[in-house]
Amino acid sequence: MRLSLSLFSFMLLGITPLLSQNKQLLYDFYEIPQSLMVNPGVKTMERWHTGVPFISGLSFQAGTSGVTVNDLFANDGIDFTTKVRERVLDAMSRRDDFSTTSQIEGFNVGFRGRNRPDDYYSFGIYGETDVIVYWPRDLAILAFEGNGGTNIGRSFDLGDLSVRGEMVNVFHFGINRKMSNTLTVGARAKLYSSIFQFQSINNSGSFVTTQGQDNIYRSTIVADMELQTAGANGIINILDEDTSTTQRDLTRLFAKRVFLGGNLGLGLDLGFSYNLNPQTTITGSILDLGFIYQSKDVKNYTLRGRAETEGITVFLPDDVNEIDNDLWQDLVDDIEESLPYGENSSGYLSFRPLKAYGSIRYDFGQGQSKNENCGCGINVVSGQNQEFYKNSVGGQLYLIKRPRGFQPALTGFYQKRLGRAFSMKTTYTVDKYSFTNVGLGLNFQAGPVNFYILGDNLLGYQNIAGSHYASLQFGFNIISWNDN
Amino acid sequence: MKRNLFKLAFALLVLCLPISCSEEQDFDQFDDLQVTPLLVSSIFYLESTEEFINASGTSESFYSEDVNFDAFNEQFVAERLLEGTIIFEVENTTSKNISFVVEFLDETGNILDTETFSIEPAPSGILTREVAYGPTGKSLDILVATSALRIVGSNLGDNSSTSSETDPKIIFRSAAEFLFELQ
Repeated sequence: MRLSLSLFSFMLLGITPLLSQNKQLLYDFYEIPQSLMVNPGVKTMERWHTGVPFISGLSFQAGTSGVTVNDLFANDGIDFTTKVRERVLDAMSRRDDFSTTSQIEGFNVGFRGRNRPDDYYSFGIYGETDVIVYWPRDLAILAFEGNGGTNIGRSFDLGDLSVRGEMVNVFHFGINRKMSNTLTVGARAKLYSSIFQFQSINNSGSFVTTQGQDNIYRSTIVADMELQTAGANGIINILDEDTSTTQRDLTRLFAKRVFLGGNLGLGLDLGFSYNLNPQTTITGSILDLGFIYQSKDVKNYTLRGRAETEGITVFLPDDVNEIDNDLWQDLVDDIEESLPYGENSSGYLSFRPLKAYGSIRYDFGQGQSKNENCGCGINVVSGQNQEFYKNSVGGQLYLIKRPRGFQPALTGFYQKRLGRAFSMKTTYTVDKYSFTNVGLGLNFQAGPVNFYILGDNLLGYQNIAGSHYASLQFGFNIISWNDN
Repeated sequence: MKRNLFKLAFALLVLCLPISCSEEQDFDQFDDLQVTPLLVSSIFYLESTEEFINASGTSESFYSEDVNFDAFNEQFVAERLLEGTIIFEVENTTSKNISFVVEFLDETGNILDTETFSIEPAPSGILTREVAYGPTGKSLDILVATSALRIVGSNLGDNSSTSSETDPKIIFRSAAEFLFELQ
């Protein structure tokens, strides 16, 4: 129990370097082929590229906008219950969340059209796991303090419960087209193959205990709550069986769902890059504009209704003929009838977390032409935008649609290029998780071999347990820059 | 120069990840967490008109019922109850003395505890009694073994008089305030 709790805490609060979904280091880092995954309209320089399978793009991210592991578990001699009360119950709001996202690319391949060198095509597969849990503030206070004492008359908001998570495999195909010397646009179609999904995001209701109208107290609960799950039941059933074939059955189930055997959906990414002038570029993208229709292995749980109770009540003479000593069970039955718990297997639509990026970049420090050896057709044409600048500065805006609205992040960056072999990007990002997020990304090109590593919130590594946010991305690619 | 710059950057990024620091953590602290909510709920409410009491006569009780009540001995309650208080209120606006006897019964009908209330005719105000269970009161075993409540209301006065109060009644209220240890 303790081990599982510790593991859960590690995963949830970010001891392991998992990441939230902002990829501000990768965005517009066009020397890295995977930048196409965050803006299908990014400037492309390659003739072709292929990621090294399963290690071309690994990203892990985790964030907590509230308490950190260190806040609670630091060996500081403070009473643990006091820490929970002061740093969690009193400090965290219903808008605070714990979130994790991880992505693993199966493969990623891109190539320039032989007959249409303006077009760069890319396709591949990646798996993604994404979980967000909002802090259920009122429910936590109810569990910690109860409905008595000073909480008489307090209305506990059942809508504080909000959670969403999924594991999905994504098949994608994208086209990047240079429309002119100043404009590049791109689009990527996605086919989602869901492995599991769960969400409880539109809950409402309240629980309140007040002075009773007849008896001493009256408790009232109004609930409109639902937990939707798809794919989870099959996994739980296999785990519950706990036989010698459990691992094999689980592998088989995952393999089936990874390759389109589960619930399916469609999505679209769109993006562009536009040169305002030879040194200034604006970009934008919208990612995961899509949905999955969850129809297989669906199990939903509902609690809807309104119930009030002042305990067992007997009014004489009205109830004189009700000779029934099971008044307690009658009361329980009445409440269950007024507030029915239900289960169903109705299909539902789950929407992918929509993301949007926008940026402005200013290039300066003119260097040698980066494209002099480029066989990528379109980029060998000399033009004012083809000059290679050593430095870039700019700003980026990131938005992600979360169950409780759009969550923004603002980034300032500086990028340095030293020939084709090295490039570096540093970022400073402000979002709900951190005001001190400094990131550093490096891209290395040794012949055709490309390696990149992007680390976020580096200051947090001074005490990783105290970090609100951690992120790491890296990968290997083979890139062809010339006609050979 | 280039090499030095990137060596430095690479060292910053790559090396700081595996050798990242963390203050000493003690996850065993979780065992010290105390989650002790105070839960309150009404239990039983009885209301009778004086007319009904008069009609019932004085030789026997106007209300007597064994009410099955498993709330206390639910496993959740039995395992986690630290202490509790049962609050009783009796309000009499009739013209006669009224008594209530509440008996806590176990599954076989044995009486575990008894509370007796006697209230004067109106105007007598509200009789309030708080009975504590746990370290500072009666044994918690009484509550966790209780499976039924026997409630008996008796008329200790005449069966003809009527109070001058508006809508005279006898009202018996009860509620529980329980302190649980969830963790």
